Amino acid sequence: MTANADAAAAGVEALDCLTPFGDAAATAAALLAGRRALAPHPVLGPDGGDPVPLALIGGAMDEPVTPRWLAPARELARRIPAGDWGSAREPVVVTSSNFGVGAMHAFTRDRDARHLAHGTPFAAAARLGRELGWGEHVHVLSHACVTAHLGLALAGRLLHRGFANRVLVFSFDFVSPFVAAGFHSLKILNAAMPAPFAARDSGSIGLGDGAAFAVLAAAPAPLRLEAAALHNEMHHFTSNRPDGAGFTACAVAMAAAARGRRVWIKGHGTGTLEAGRLEAEAWRQAFPDAPLVSWKGSLGHTLGSCGLVELAVAAAALRAGRIPGTVGGEAPSFTANVALGPLAAAGFDAAVLSANAFGGAHASFILAHD
Amino acid sequence: MTERFIHEVRVERPPAAEDAAAARARLAERFPRAALRRMTHLGMLVGAAADGIALGPDDAIVYATSYGETRALEDYLASFPAASPLLFQTSIHPSAVQQVLIGRQQPVARLWPLAGRARLVEQALLAAVLEPAPRVWLTGGEERGTWLLERGVASDRAFAFGLLLAADGDGAAGRLAARPASGPDEPGPTLASFADALAARAPLAWTGGGARWSVEWR
Repeated sequence: MTANADAAAAGVEALDCLTPFGDAAATAAALLAGRRALAPHPVLGPDGGDPVPLALIGGAMDEPVTPRWLAPARELARRIPAGDWGSAREPVVVTSSNFGVGAMHAFTRDRDARHLAHGTPFAAAARLGRELGWGEHVHVLSHACVTAHLGLALAGRLLHRGFANRVLVFSFDFVSPFVAAGFHSLKILNAAMPAPFAARDSGSIGLGDGAAFAVLAAAPAPLRLEAAALHNEMHHFTSNRPDGAGFTACAVAMAAAARGRRVWIKGHGTGTLEAGRLEAEAWRQAFPDAPLVSWKGSLGHTLGSCGLVELAVAAAALRAGRIPGTVGGEAPSFTANVALGPLAAAGFDAAVLSANAFGGAHASFILAHD
Repeated sequence: MTERFIHEVRVERPPAAEDAAAARARLAERFPRAALRRMTHLGMLVGAAADGIALGPDDAIVYATSYGETRALEDYLASFPAASPLLFQTSIHPSAVQQVLIGRQQPVARLWPLAGRARLVEQALLAAVLEPAPRVWLTGGEERGTWLLERGVASDRAFAFGLLLAADGDGAAGRLAARPASGPDEPGPTLASFADALAARAPLAWTGGGARWSVEWR
């Protein structure tokens, strides 16, 4: 199986993110310094439970009536360039895995009906839109951990088919007991810190808060998103085909699109064993000379927002001239292409950014730069 | 103008009182027994709408729902503090489509799960006409909630629909078109009224998002 990649490029007019370290530049600097945002927190937040690695903006997984993602989203939104956002010609694409679902759990705890006002994806997006003055043309996408990649791909299509002049892609995922307990119940979020792509006895992920935005336009720009490739295995809800064919589908498409370029790869790399092994091997085969890194050992997995958060960090790293390695990784890695230490950006002219999700969903694109 | 031709139309409108158990009995022959046990009401309705529709690995799916897996969400919340792994994964968007395709072991190129409400139908049609896949299965629906419905955050009816879209018009039952238009936005169909219009083969037309949208039948 090979995924077909969208051919048209989208220029990046503006891009930034918010993580527990701060904006994209601060996050890239922290990763280069090898710092972890992840720290042990009770899986049920105020209700306790096993300690699990979480990277939280604000330092606690509380559930107030005013959702805790709203203030950070407002802070991030101050950096969005002015525009008629949410109009027909400048639509918004909101991408998330969680949206406001933590509010549903909060309601079951304290029975305050005000939580439910932003519990569904469309209600959370509408709340955000009211706060930020967006119009009605807000696309709401939710496809677990490849959602931001889908949002960027949809934006590219809107631009190149003449349905938009500019597109704002906005993504936010904040950890709640709802989602932390869910991953804990699946036994992939446990007490151990994640070590992406490390060949060790047991795997574990961490979860992180994150928000990000990108303003895309059809016109060329120094930073460009190219060759969005998507594939859905539909083999199992929470595991991949054992032959790695789903990973290979996107990796082969990226190799064809990146031919002749010197690339590095920002993988998904959550810290799970089987998916990590399949992913590392697929990239090694498709790009034998390209280093592979993951940043989820520090930032945690920002779920549906990871594609956009990590894109903003990648862009900031390129500006800084150094690309963070696999923070939290450890030798031996599954494959020799895994880079544990930082890389000099000068050696490359493009990056491949990738994410995977439940259902065996795979998404990748090329970040090209002058 | 951008257009796609409608080659199949399916609408599932179960009795108002039907719940997942009743749907499981009614639709038992449509799904593998092992998969059926774990399917949600919405998953069964979406799957019933797709019954007999053969999709290939190069095809794409657009999926629209505002509330998604309401009952799995309600039951998952009830499982706390011992959170249920099965209900967690089932509650995650876009579980209904994944239940169906994983049951079939059917890979697809792209899946566009839309979860808005205002202009949701228009956005789903837009995602479908932007899709270069040879065939696009445009599907969607809702299931009826219980306590979330009482709180106004769930659908009050269960339904599902599916449209098989292709660029080729030979033998088509209808046509979906988007022409550039500069007029002000008009209200478009809701997800439920769209399903009803499909069931009645009723034509639809409205302006929104810089386009004049039409669904016409032959």
